[in-house]
Amino acid sequence: MLWLDGLVQGILLGGLYAQYALGMALMFGVMRIVNISHGDLMILLALIGITVGASFTLGPWTVLALLVVIGAFLGWALQRAILNRVVGVDPLPSLIATFGLSVALQNAMLQIWSADTRSLRGGGIEQASFQLGPMFVGVLPVIVLITATVLTGGLDAVLRFSRFGRSLRASAADVEAAAMTGVNPKSIYAGATAIAVAILGFAAVFQSLRATVAPADGPFQLIYAFEAVIIGGMGSIWGAFIGAMVLGISQSLAFRFDPGFGILAGHLVFLIVLALRPQGILGRE
Amino acid sequence: MNPPLLSTHGLVARYGDFQALYGIDFEIGAGEIVALIGANGAGKSTLLKALMGVLRVAPEMVRFEGRPVGGSQPHRMVSMGVAIVPEGRRLFTGMSVEDNLRVAIDNASTRRTGGWTLDRVLDFFPILREKRRTPVQSLSGGQQQMVAIGRALLNQPRVLLCDEISLGLAPKVVKEIYQSIPSISETGTAIVLVEQDVSLAQSASNRLYCMLEGRVTLSGRSAEITREAIGEAYFGGAHAVA
Repeated sequence: MLWLDGLVQGILLGGLYAQYALGMALMFGVMRIVNISHGDLMILLALIGITVGASFTLGPWTVLALLVVIGAFLGWALQRAILNRVVGVDPLPSLIATFGLSVALQNAMLQIWSADTRSLRGGGIEQASFQLGPMFVGVLPVIVLITATVLTGGLDAVLRFSRFGRSLRASAADVEAAAMTGVNPKSIYAGATAIAVAILGFAAVFQSLRATVAPADGPFQLIYAFEAVIIGGMGSIWGAFIGAMVLGISQSLAFRFDPGFGILAGHLVFLIVLALRPQGILGRE
Repeated sequence: MNPPLLSTHGLVARYGDFQALYGIDFEIGAGEIVALIGANGAGKSTLLKALMGVLRVAPEMVRFEGRPVGGSQPHRMVSMGVAIVPEGRRLFTGMSVEDNLRVAIDNASTRRTGGWTLDRVLDFFPILREKRRTPVQSLSGGQQQMVAIGRALLNQPRVLLCDEISLGLAPKVVKEIYQSIPSISETGTAIVLVEQDVSLAQSASNRLYCMLEGRVTLSGRSAEITREAIGEAYFGGAHAVA
């Protein structure tokens, strides 16, 4: 019973990790841009959402819509202003540039919001739960899981079937050949990063509804996103979703075993996957 | 008189400290097939890169219908109507034949002069119709070359640049691919052929340019140029063939 509950809670936690990981799957897995500021952007969106939500007494869904729009703009601006200058065969320049951005963002957020932990008020939805057989399941985690599944399916379909998705995959495969086939890689990349950060708007709302956020939290979310993408397999959107599930379930089950062991167990599973199947669960050789 | 469709004027290009082209004057008109021959390192591929905008050059050095376009980004050249079958094919690995072709359709020249459709390309290379769902990396070299040509055609080019399309292919396949050239140019598309095989280049083209060490050493109507003249221009005067 304890373990079944752990499994269900793990799947629900995986839904949240999937929302961190989708943008990372797009940027790191497909475009091969290492964005160290991924987690910090999520925290920034969360803090903006909390402040704006409290100032104008907005409900969580209004805040969500707002953050998705702000996220899309931030992503577009990030790619145009910084990443398009450093993108190339070598991943190091983008890593260094976003590492700098990460440090700057964390300090700017500390300056504006101080080190206090904050959360978003959801008007009761945070505590609501329903009974499923012998156990109680939170309404919010179920919404998070459904949202993550829809976002994953939607992003996967966009990559597979849309004009934008084909141009992005072509640019990722051979950026010069894509340009010679009429693709403008810089505007395609700006669109992709806009999508990646817009998805963080979802993660920001759900993270600050279910728990708290503080300016220095970003790197933890970054690690979970990286691990999910690598466990699932680079370049695969559903892989990132499955990777997030593996991470969520390992943490949740290990937490039942020993509360201090949960987070560590997730990292250990990541290392085991890296050792035994370095291309990831859905990855190709 | 109308200006040529695509031309270069004293084109110079360099890779860092190495100068690759020394003042190239080149032109091609609608419906023409022009061959570029020369030894390895003569600057043929560099010339195509400059025409395509992959290599940045001064605006006045490349003209499209007389307008200066040198240094425009590659996707701008495509939208004007210049497309390339790149050396080594450069297909989008991991994507199907159809998706590779669709990238070109999605981003084609806005003028759409060629009237190429996915169906027409698949009729043109029937084997690709069978393989349309296959990832391009599992095709044979000849089939990959057909995808690369189809992809360039679907950009609806007014000028098609072909960089060494016979390289690494079996003679029978080369023949097949070269047989498709006249029917492409019949639609009014100008074709630039960069080719290692001199007699193939001569027989397939209306005019040819021979390059040596970054300069044009010979140009004229393909049918009127003698093998001796080509030999001299190809290797330089000191190596003139008997």
